[in-house]
Parts: sequence; C-alpha cells; structure tokens
Amino acid sequence: MASLKDRTGIIKLNERVAKDIYKMVLQFDDLPDGIKGGQFVHVKLNDKSRILRRPFCICDYDVKEKTILIYYAIVGEGTKVLSQYPAGEKLQAMLPLGNGYTPDKNVKKIVLLGGGMGSAVLPAIPTSNPQLEYYTYLGFANKDKVVLEEEMRAVSKELTVATDDGSYGQKGFVTNVLAADMDRIKPDVVFCCGPEVMYKALKKALEPFKVPIIVSLEARMGCGIGACLVCNCKVKRAGEEESYVRVCIEGPVMKLDEVVL
Amino acid sequence: MSNLKVNIAGVEFKNPIITASGTFGFGREYDRFYNIEELGGICTKGLTIRPKLGNPPPRIAECYGGMLNSVGLQNPGVDHYLQKDDLYLAKRDVVVIANVAGSTLEDYIAIAEKINGAQADMIELNISCPNVKEGGMAFGVLPESVERVTAAVKKACPDKPVITKLSPNVACIADNAKAAEAGGADAVSLINTLSGMAVNYKTRKPILFNNNGGMSGPCVKPVALKMVWDCYNAVKIPIIGLGGVTSYTDALEFMICGARAVQVGTYNFVNPYSARDIAKDLANYVEENDIDINDIVGTLILNK
Repeated sequence: MASLKDRTGIIKLNERVAKDIYKMVLQFDDLPDGIKGGQFVHVKLNDKSRILRRPFCICDYDVKEKTILIYYAIVGEGTKVLSQYPAGEKLQAMLPLGNGYTPDKNVKKIVLLGGGMGSAVLPAIPTSNPQLEYYTYLGFANKDKVVLEEEMRAVSKELTVATDDGSYGQKGFVTNVLAADMDRIKPDVVFCCGPEVMYKALKKALEPFKVPIIVSLEARMGCGIGACLVCNCKVKRAGEEESYVRVCIEGPVMKLDEVVL
Repeated sequence: MSNLKVNIAGVEFKNPIITASGTFGFGREYDRFYNIEELGGICTKGLTIRPKLGNPPPRIAECYGGMLNSVGLQNPGVDHYLQKDDLYLAKRDVVVIANVAGSTLEDYIAIAEKINGAQADMIELNISCPNVKEGGMAFGVLPESVERVTAAVKKACPDKPVITKLSPNVACIADNAKAAEAGGADAVSLINTLSGMAVNYKTRKPILFNNNGGMSGPCVKPVALKMVWDCYNAVKIPIIGLGGVTSYTDALEFMICGARAVQVGTYNFVNPYSARDIAKDLANYVEENDIDINDIVGTLILNK
C-alpha cells in the first residue's frame, strides 16, 4: 500500500557554480531505485515561514554513493535560503516524483537540448539510459551562465554550446544551431528542457524535420504528488478537448505537440 | 478512561482528525504514504455537477507562513466521483465527507440529490470558495442565502448529515453559523480560506493568474480560532474547526475553542504524513492524560 516516502537527505555539497546558480549533492540512506532523467525531488526548507516545498529536477544521481545532484538558480527567497545551508544540514525530500524521459524501444540516437537552467535536467537521461547515443546542445544567455558543459561532454557523442550574445561557443539561439545540424544528425527524438519561449521557438525551428520532441515543464507546485491540482498545465491531445493535467503526475515530461503554450 | 472517538451528527469518527477538502484529492495520493484508515475522516475535493476545468495557472503562491491558491474547483464532476472514487472510499474504514459546490441553487440541489444516493457518509457544502466568479461564495456571504442553500440541500439530501462550510470573508461568521443551523445544518465547518493577493513587485502583477486567491496555512490560525470560538457561542450544532492546523497542539487549541473535530489542509503539502501524525500524537495525549477528548471541547477559559 505505502509506496511513497518522505526521506531525510543530508547535504554533502552546496556550492555556487555561476552567478546565482548553485549545485547541491544530497545523500540518502535509502535512495530509491529506478530514478529516471526528468523526474524531480520535492524539498522542504528548514524554515517555518516558507512552508511550501520546492521542486527541483534530479540533475543526476549515483546509486553507489546514494546521492542525487540538483542545480538551482536563486529566483526568490526560498532558493536564497537553500543556498545558505551548509554541508551536513538535513532536508526532508520526496523522490523520485513525476514521469521522467522514457526513450521508446526503437530509439537509438537522441538529441539532448538544454536552455539555460533547463540543461540541469539532462545529465540523468544518459545515466538511466547509458546504451544510447547522445548529441547534446546547450544554450545560455551568455558566458557567465554556462553550466554542465564538461559533465555533458563526458556522456555525449557530440556537444555543442551556444550563447545568445556569442560570448561563448556558437553565437545565437541554440534552437537555430540545432536546426542547422538536424539533417546531419537525424535523431530519433529530441529531449529538451528550457523555458517556454524556447519551446515555441523549437517547435517552429524543427517543424520541417518531423521529429518527436519531448519537453519538461516547470510549474509552481503544492503537494507534488497529484492531490492539490495547483501545478496544472493546459494540454490538447488528439481527439480530446483542451484540459488541464498535473505537471507533477502526468508530467513534468510531455510531448511538445500536446502542450498548449 | 481515555477516548479519542468523536460523534458528529450521528456519525462516529475513530479520531477527530479529518483531511480538508481540496488538499487530499480523493485519498488515493496520500494512501501511497500511509494507510488513510488511520484518519478519522476525509473530505473529498470539491465536486460540481459537471466537470470543471479550473483556473489557468499560476494557481499557487507562497506567503509568510502560508500560501494562496486559486485552483477554481477543478474536478471531474460528481458522476465521475460516483463511478470511481465513492466506491473506492466506501471500502475503507474512514468517514467520507463529499464536499460539493455549485453556481446556482439548482446546482446544489442536483448534486445533493446525487450524493444522497452515494456511499459517502456526510455532505459538506462549499458555499465559500473564493476562487470561482459565479461560485458558491455568493451563497456564503449573507445569512439569508446561507440558510436558503442549507435548507435546500438538507431537503435534497435527507439521508446524510449536512455540514455547511463557512467563509471567513463575511461581516459576522457567527450570524452565518446561526443561519446554517436555522437552515437545518447538522454541523458547520470553518474556516474556508481568507481572500488575499500575492504581488510581484518587479512585474507589478499579482502572482496568481486569477489575481486573488484563498489564503491558508499556519498564518491563518489565530483568525480561525477566534471564529470557531465565536460560532461555538452562537450555535448548538457541532463545529469542525480548520485553518492552519500543523500539530496535535493546534488541534487541541481548536477543540478548546469549541471544535468537535479538526481538519488538516495545507499542512498535508508540507508534510505528507501530517494528518496521520496529528491523529497519533493526539492519541498519545489523551492516553497520557487519561482524558476523553470530548471533555475538552469548548473549555476555553477567557481572561476576565
């Protein structure tokens, strides 16, 4: 009956990696099996004034060390508080939540596309599917925002970094950089995580290639387990009316052509 | 001898802890964390006669010691509930309270007739949802309309005890409790969420798409306690207290102010085990102090 647990994680590392961007390693005595890239962890702050949990994608995980890695940007008071916790601090966390990226059986070649902090969703995908071939594209606003380049290089057949202002890697929107390479790579699927504005651009840029695009959505969440219905996003599925589905259960990973942006 | 059982309108609860509507779905999600039969009762997500899409996101914002929501009563409709969740919950040893909402008196009557034939043990009337424009709130403000809608539901659902859930966003909640009692309510529950707003100073916009939302969580507890006490002194029917309950001591405070049972809402999000833990802690408390929990109801000692 009881299949979910709130677990106690201990912070092994919590350090700044770029301006307003931190990485945290959380260790669990009882790290659950079967974590998939694209799933998330719902973290409670040790702060009674900020009561809501914060959902973070599980950037990567290590079964042997019983750890997960998360990357987060300071966007408000909650993440600011989180960034001040020292190693050794204990945090309550529910994981893994959400559906995650699941490559179909016939998929061999995958493009991983990250936009800004969305890149932090990608590393766990090769970890949970090491047999597949990855072509990774990471896009950032500028050089100061670049994260996870080396980590993704290590698991990708090819890695391309682009910045909007050209201060690092190729210049321009990473969606356009990818579109220019699509005929050469011919991926079976594109797994993407980034802001909504990127999804709109991606849909347009990859339209000619008829490739399935799977994205991960971000939402303000309440319970994180499907009960409260606050994280819902609008979808339009073939043959159905528009409806709201729960990002925490039916997502956060969804088919781009079903998401109403 | 110690006792944790309470009785509301003829329905026995094994303990006075109930999960609040809208925070617990239909029980399935939290059943993955613990056996929901450890609870006294469960209030379902607010049901409407037809499926309801709800409001566009964002539907949630945090505030100091609490949160605001504007879900807008998204639910699969009462027929879906009757086919799927009513039977699932009926098999469980826990009191089931079907929470219902409507936009018109006819809606309330139609849904109450359906719940009358359902397995659910009780019906809770949501006339205080602040998040739908045409919604139940219109019925929850004036005492006359509280009485009218309660009486109509009571007539349409004669076989189930009726709990009228009261809004705090009114001139005098005790008057509305009296009106519910006059309309035939078997109990009242309070408080629903407080109307509020969260604002982003950078964009100068409200965070919630709906602009306004309902505030809940620990920050509302003092308001809720006073309102429970006010209503306790105004009506004879039992009161179910809610608003910011996070621990068994919070539950005791509500009961001392006159609540016969207590609902746990927002804190389910903070700690998924909270309702169960509160019930357990309360059991330890009555045992250690060798008391009947009913004996503390309404025992507040005011300062002179």
